[in-house]
Amino acid sequence: MVSGLINANPVVHERKERSSRPCVNKILDSKIPSIHHVRDITDPEHPYSLEQLNVVTEDSIFVDDSKSYVKVTFTPTVQHCSMATVIGLSLRLKLLRCLPPRFKVDIQLAPGSHSTEAAVNKQLNDKERVAAAFENPHLVELVEKCLVSTEE
Amino acid sequence: MSANFSVKVGRHNDFISPSQACVVSLNSLKKSSPQAFDDDGLVQIQSKKLLNPDFNQASALSKSDPVKVSLHDCLACSGCITSAETVLIEQQSTGEFLSQLDTGKKAVVVSLSPQSRASLAAYYGVTPLQAFKKFTGFMKSIGVRAVFDTSCSRDLSLIESCKEFVTRFRDNKNLPILASACPGWVCYAEKTHGADILPHISAVKSPQQAMGAIVKRYACSSLGLQPEDIYHVTVMPCYDKKLEASREDFVFSGEVNEETDGPQMTEVDCVLTTTEVLDLLATKSADFTALEEAPLDRLLANVDESEQLFGVQGGSGGYAECIFRYAASVLFGKEVTGPLKFKVLRNSDFQETSLEIGGKPVLQFACVYGFRNIQNLVRRIKSGKCEYHYVEIMACPSGCLNGGGQIKPRKGQSAKDLIQLIEVTYANDIEIRDPFSNKITQGLYDQWLGHPGSAKACEIMQTQYHSREKTVGSYISDW
Amino acid sequence: MSLRLVQELAGHDDRVWSVAWRPGGGPSVLASCSGDKTVRIWEHSPGASPSSATWVCKAVLDSAHTRTVRQCEWCPAGKLLATASFDSTLGMYEKIGTEISFIASFEGHENEVKSVAWNSSGSLLASCSRDKSVWIWEVLPGHEFECVSVLNGHSQDVKMVTWHPSRDILVSASYDNSIKVWAEDVDGDDWRCVQTLAAPGRGHTSTVWGISFNATGDRMVSCSDDLTLMVWDTSADCVSTSADGVAPWKHLTTISGYHDRTIFSVHWSRVNGLIASGAGDDCIRVFDELRDNVSTLPGEGLSYEMVLKQEKAHSTDVNCVRWHPKEPRLLASAGDDGVVKIWELVGGDLPLLSNESLPYDPRG
Repeated sequence: MVSGLINANPVVHERKERSSRPCVNKILDSKIPSIHHVRDITDPEHPYSLEQLNVVTEDSIFVDDSKSYVKVTFTPTVQHCSMATVIGLSLRLKLLRCLPPRFKVDIQLAPGSHSTEAAVNKQLNDKERVAAAFENPHLVELVEKCLVSTEE
Repeated sequence: MSANFSVKVGRHNDFISPSQACVVSLNSLKKSSPQAFDDDGLVQIQSKKLLNPDFNQASALSKSDPVKVSLHDCLACSGCITSAETVLIEQQSTGEFLSQLDTGKKAVVVSLSPQSRASLAAYYGVTPLQAFKKFTGFMKSIGVRAVFDTSCSRDLSLIESCKEFVTRFRDNKNLPILASACPGWVCYAEKTHGADILPHISAVKSPQQAMGAIVKRYACSSLGLQPEDIYHVTVMPCYDKKLEASREDFVFSGEVNEETDGPQMTEVDCVLTTTEVLDLLATKSADFTALEEAPLDRLLANVDESEQLFGVQGGSGGYAECIFRYAASVLFGKEVTGPLKFKVLRNSDFQETSLEIGGKPVLQFACVYGFRNIQNLVRRIKSGKCEYHYVEIMACPSGCLNGGGQIKPRKGQSAKDLIQLIEVTYANDIEIRDPFSNKITQGLYDQWLGHPGSAKACEIMQTQYHSREKTVGSYISDW
Repeated sequence: MSLRLVQELAGHDDRVWSVAWRPGGGPSVLASCSGDKTVRIWEHSPGASPSSATWVCKAVLDSAHTRTVRQCEWCPAGKLLATASFDSTLGMYEKIGTEISFIASFEGHENEVKSVAWNSSGSLLASCSRDKSVWIWEVLPGHEFECVSVLNGHSQDVKMVTWHPSRDILVSASYDNSIKVWAEDVDGDDWRCVQTLAAPGRGHTSTVWGISFNATGDRMVSCSDDLTLMVWDTSADCVSTSADGVAPWKHLTTISGYHDRTIFSVHWSRVNGLIASGAGDDCIRVFDELRDNVSTLPGEGLSYEMVLKQEKAHSTDVNCVRWHPKEPRLLASAGDDGVVKIWELVGGDLPLLSNESLPYDPRG
């Protein structure tokens, strides 16, 4: 797809066993099972999931159902990864689809994980910018590709 | 496409801001159409990185050559440029220039624009002639082989523009014709308006590129050099001229024999802005005012034996004036002497003039400078409501003398005062002469191009434009 | 004080970004615009009160845009409706009698247009975009529009523009966390930024989403992603009026500690003097100047208190709040839930503005 890969040789991790692990007051297994699938989102550049690349882990996703709040923290594979915003968009789209509308979602880069952390965070949490991005067919196509792996 | 970049906000609001798609292809010496790159627009900024060498394009480069993406390639992309890179771009030009001089492999030829000359003259409080001579002396002292004047190539560009206008006017197609000398305007038109506007733009090359063609495809022999052994540098009032120089359309092959193409070369290898000349002077610890005035290289300069500088009127090339007079004469038999009467419309950067015969306007020309005025003009053209036959369009308010690469005002000097000073300096002791009377251009036609508008003249002196699509890469980096 | 829901206006197929009350006489008309690319026109039954639940959708305008319509604004005479869209164009509709027709589209911005605003006389239109620029357009006879100025200065996305209630002074709010004030040059050749309100010093520390002037134009309030409202004042210091007659704005007070998420909209009523805000925590809040403040020096020691909090005003983010231009107790809101709501302020003594209030003019 892209001729100049940002990170040509990513480190690939094992996918963790999912089955019946109770996650104590973290991920809502029974109420929002599909939130797990955030981890299956494919990286825009490589045929691996965000979990396999350690971009998101189990600890990345914080849910407080009583406050209708979700926070996702992710770590791009490379410090200056220009795809960080695309990964962020794919996280947004996935959560938009699997969460009830009452939820407020914050998406952030793991502190210290990116050279323009504040700028990326700001962009990903500006809902007007995100809405406009989702009206751009080029970006939507790119992001949808990342979400194919998460469909059940 | 700004005379300034978006991060270096100029004093004026009215410059065209950089847009998003890369104008210059990532494969800089390639000749095929830009539609070939759609999804691959990712460009590394932090370093010159390899692109996929297996890029399936017809190219002069072999498969094993690394394709380099230099910062020059990214000039158009506001998404990519941060202030750090902007500074890097500037350093790269003077750095490249000096290293070419150091290695000494090529002969370095410098072409100075009259706008940069005026900016230097105004800054140092000398006349344009003095500035030209001191500049020449300085350049020669650091190893430059020859210093030319783009007022000279501008005359060639004007002559061809006159010829083109008359032909297109008679055909009554795609009027108004829009000047092509401003790369800020051209890049903006290619990216934003495409097929709606590009057919209107004059095909004639700018004075910068005309000089490049002359130096590398003709005058080289007078200099005793092969074209591939020349490193041609121009000194210009804006940064967009760097973009213009790097266009694929200006790459040509030297001729080895009929079967093989020779080495790929480009008409202008490097562009320095007027402010970069100041940097150069500082790097070499040269005091401009104290510099010796060296004799001028008259081969390609608008200066006669008595050291009288000459050229057309007009800080932005004088296209409207020159073509107007020529058209009035050739098409309607009217000799227009004396200054043209321009009517100021919405603001001082939008002026029009017309030739009336029997109370009816037969020629309607305009000068439109600055983005807000260009907007209104383009809108009118697109809706079929534009009455003009020719428009001299410039991206910078007040025209080229106010380009983004010109020397900034001194402390206490207002921008307005400086522009006025440069305008006065620009015209100071420069004799106004008709381009058709220029002996150098006459010689170029006699010895090389044939006659104005000839097939050869059109081949060498004309170029083309391309609609530019935004790449996915540009969206990824800027949504 | 509390808010009574007059009516919930459903119909849009996507989030509603903005609402605009039609100025001028006659029955109340409300325009709303949405991510569904349309503008809807709502009217109440003729003869009935606008605070009665008789509102219906009279028209769905869908010809102007191919993407989200982000904001719509009526011209002061109520005849034209300008729209700002993510498709990078501005649209213009004309209302003649009961018919509203699409009359023009303006290109020029490079990407999403976020806001559009009319000056007080209706002779100028301002627009702003993610392309970081603010444009000023002039309305010419025959519904022609020409670009008067393209203002660069913001270093990021410009979210909103709004005009002073009586003078041709324009204010813009940006993703670059600053507010800029624009006015025409003394020699009238172009417009320029006459002031920037930003940190360091008193300024927002995150995206500024909206600004609203009070009735007299000597104060304005801004809202931000930094969870605060800031009130700015220009009446205190007449002495340092700049050469072009634009008195500088000073930070008066910050209203903080009330909002839990981004404040998307703020509106200062020209009728009752109250400030309403709409935020990402689904609440509408109303603020008033603290009345029992002893300090009488203009611009000093003033503060604002929250007099109303409507939780779950929408089931989602509140994107826009707008007071009615004439009715002191009516408020409209728009939300991500795709719904427009009309509210009536119930109870409380409204600080109605007296007739002596005139637009502030520092030149005296």
